[in-house]
Amino acid sequence: MRHRRLAAVACAALAAGLAGCGGGPAAAPADVITVSSDQCGGSWHVAGPGWHTFEIASQGEGGAEIDLIDPASGGVYAEIENVGPGTTTPMTVDLGSGPYAFLCLFSDFDPELGAKVTVPGHAKGAAAIVPLTNGDLIPYAKKYQAYTEAGLKVLAAETATLAADVRHADLAAAKRDWLTAHLQYQTLGAAYGTFGDYDDQIDGRADATGVNSPQWTGFYRLEYGLWHGQSVTVLTPVAATLAKDVSALLAWWPTQQIPLLDVGLRSHEILENALQFQLTGHDDYGSGTTLATTLANIAGTRALLTLLHPLLAPRYAGLAAVNSGLDLLQSLIEKEHRPNGAWVPVSALPTSTRQAIDAACGAVLQSLAPIASITEPRNTAIER
Amino acid sequence: MNAESQEPPSGPAASSEATGPSSAGPAAPGAGRRSFLRGLAGGVAGGVVAGGAAGYYSRNIAPGTDPAAAANEAAVTGRLPAVPFHGRHQAGILPPPSRATAVVSFDVTADDKASLTELFQTVTDRARFLTAGGTPPPVGIGGPPSDSGVLGPTVVPDGLTVTFGVGSTLFDERFGLASSRPARLTAMQPFPNDDLDPAQCGGDLILQLRAGSTDTVLHALRDIAKNTRGGMQVNWRIDGFVSPARPTGTVPRNLLGFMDGIANPAVTSASDMNSLVWVQPGTAGEPAWTAGGSYFVVRLIRMLVEFWDRVDVFEQELMIGRRRATGLPLDGTTIDSVPNYTLDPTGDVIPLTAHIRIANPRLPKYNASRILRRGWNYDRGIDSVGDLDMGLIFTCFQQDIERQFKAVQTRLIDEPLTDYISPFGGGYFLALPGVTGPSDYYGRALLA
Repeated sequence: MRHRRLAAVACAALAAGLAGCGGGPAAAPADVITVSSDQCGGSWHVAGPGWHTFEIASQGEGGAEIDLIDPASGGVYAEIENVGPGTTTPMTVDLGSGPYAFLCLFSDFDPELGAKVTVPGHAKGAAAIVPLTNGDLIPYAKKYQAYTEAGLKVLAAETATLAADVRHADLAAAKRDWLTAHLQYQTLGAAYGTFGDYDDQIDGRADATGVNSPQWTGFYRLEYGLWHGQSVTVLTPVAATLAKDVSALLAWWPTQQIPLLDVGLRSHEILENALQFQLTGHDDYGSGTTLATTLANIAGTRALLTLLHPLLAPRYAGLAAVNSGLDLLQSLIEKEHRPNGAWVPVSALPTSTRQAIDAACGAVLQSLAPIASITEPRNTAIER
Repeated sequence: MNAESQEPPSGPAASSEATGPSSAGPAAPGAGRRSFLRGLAGGVAGGVVAGGAAGYYSRNIAPGTDPAAAANEAAVTGRLPAVPFHGRHQAGILPPPSRATAVVSFDVTADDKASLTELFQTVTDRARFLTAGGTPPPVGIGGPPSDSGVLGPTVVPDGLTVTFGVGSTLFDERFGLASSRPARLTAMQPFPNDDLDPAQCGGDLILQLRAGSTDTVLHALRDIAKNTRGGMQVNWRIDGFVSPARPTGTVPRNLLGFMDGIANPAVTSASDMNSLVWVQPGTAGEPAWTAGGSYFVVRLIRMLVEFWDRVDVFEQELMIGRRRATGLPLDGTTIDSVPNYTLDPTGDVIPLTAHIRIANPRLPKYNASRILRRGWNYDRGIDSVGDLDMGLIFTCFQQDIERQFKAVQTRLIDEPLTDYISPFGGGYFLALPGVTGPSDYYGRALLA
């Protein structure tokens, strides 16, 4: 599982000349904020609003997370994770006028709220984001799990049909039903290990094994065979194995818990994979349907965003851009769906069309990126 | 190509055209205007604090230090001072080549004039920040960091310049700019010895980044690309470098082993620049918005170095017209000597076909065809037979491509050197007039 951590702004040896570490020209000299398991910053003050860098010096005995929050709402302005004992780490913030407080979370200790400090004046600083707790996210993870389970049930029926097509030597039907089933799988957001080893079995690429290896199984293996004239004899066990593996995944899935961090990460990772493997044509093993796969990935992303909407709406101003970006990407791709049902392989797209699609995908990914940070579960949230 | 360059004109090889893939059809319906900036702006603070770093560098150079040594030290450590961004002309045109460059062609994917304007404003804002340096804004828990961190927590200017230009395809029907097309801007047509790859030619936009070191260039490219995603898409790209002068002096060598860039119009001469480089106000046929800009030719020229290395040095020198070891013209005693072709009418010393002699015949009638030539070496891997893919990024600035670059290059057709070089990409562009102040932006007079 990918581990996402906000990058702390490191500011080592900032040399001469620059006033505060990491600060802009107006930045004041850095203040040292000492934290430990029994004091969270002590008293501190700043002269006024603007960019400010605090040097967070930990004298605790274990790891800690230190936040600067709005004590009224619990909203977080800045966060440093994994602060080790004896370390000093800068925290740079654009302070506005109003109340601030440090919140210290040392391992094995209760959260401790530091002194409430009011920054004078009437300036507006960066906005705080009200963090999400595990408790906030659990119901959404459960819903996502249920969405996926329902999708897997559909998939299991589709792969059974596909296996029967091949077994009955109806390869025209098999090609049609292969696409239906593969798109269904791709709406489920299997990016980055959601399905563990099952994903390798069901949708693995040939990169590691080569296309002739018996170790290579799943949708792409079957695609390769169907579109490269392989025989029914060869493909029947391939299709049967795929159906069997999907059934096994369906049985396994309800026993799993989606890591809460993953719910937000998927919101951009599904399309990151589409850009890397589908829009490049990398995962075209003969059918030329990677644009259709990208549409399935858009649908999977939308499902997740719809689910998360109540959490995102109050926290992310870029949500409208996400939705219009997905609309644009989808409309550009749908134009490449021929009236006869065929898809244009990306390698056959005119340069200008390909540029438009790639640009739209890049733009929507950029706007999706903050969601993972915003929906990261934080144990720093104050009980409200 | 021109392995020499010195002569004012010097043209590289010719070019092409190549239609940039962008002529694109009508814009995508459905989703409406592409708001390629909204996503970024949505999450986090958009501003940056600029300017903080400039003083830092000057402070690093102790009083009394030898300026040349200090400049060299600054170049080595990637701490060149900021080059002022605002001005009547773009700042990256006149200075001698910097250590590192990237030349990147983009096609516009924004779908209307308003989005195009937004794109140019964004490029302006990023260029203004990146050239000045400063600290990117913190984002709190609202998203990934706003800066790649490649230059550390504070962006150093490192002499970065951003030169931004437009190609002829920008003036097709997409943005309603056909009537504003610069009079002397066309697609690049191939010269007889070119081997142009359409995928590495043309483009709606050209961006040249130059700085003291490669990390500065790549940081700027990533920043600009990230902030303009959705509005433009990279079409082709090449990175280049300038070698140190060896063994001494000021003239670097190209990858043929010859000193390159010896002669050029004097950038300190306002009259030369006004007669050769800058589009002048009131030029016949030119739209008023082009004044202060400069036509920008880019030619990507492979050098067949394995073949070249199998050629006798005297034959090499006859092709170029200069000594390889010293850079002296074959009839000269100093590197700056002006070849005297009047005394050598039959080419007994400098052959009539030598590159420097054709490129700049040193006759008054050719003065108006001189160009401001800027060359970088490139090196990017191997070809299909395992030979090294390296050569020259030839660029030049001028007032009139037909009168200047094309005239020079036409004279160079079939020069003996053509057997050892292969022009494969590039394009013709107009480097936009400079951004004059904090409220101005690239192409304002074109787009307003």
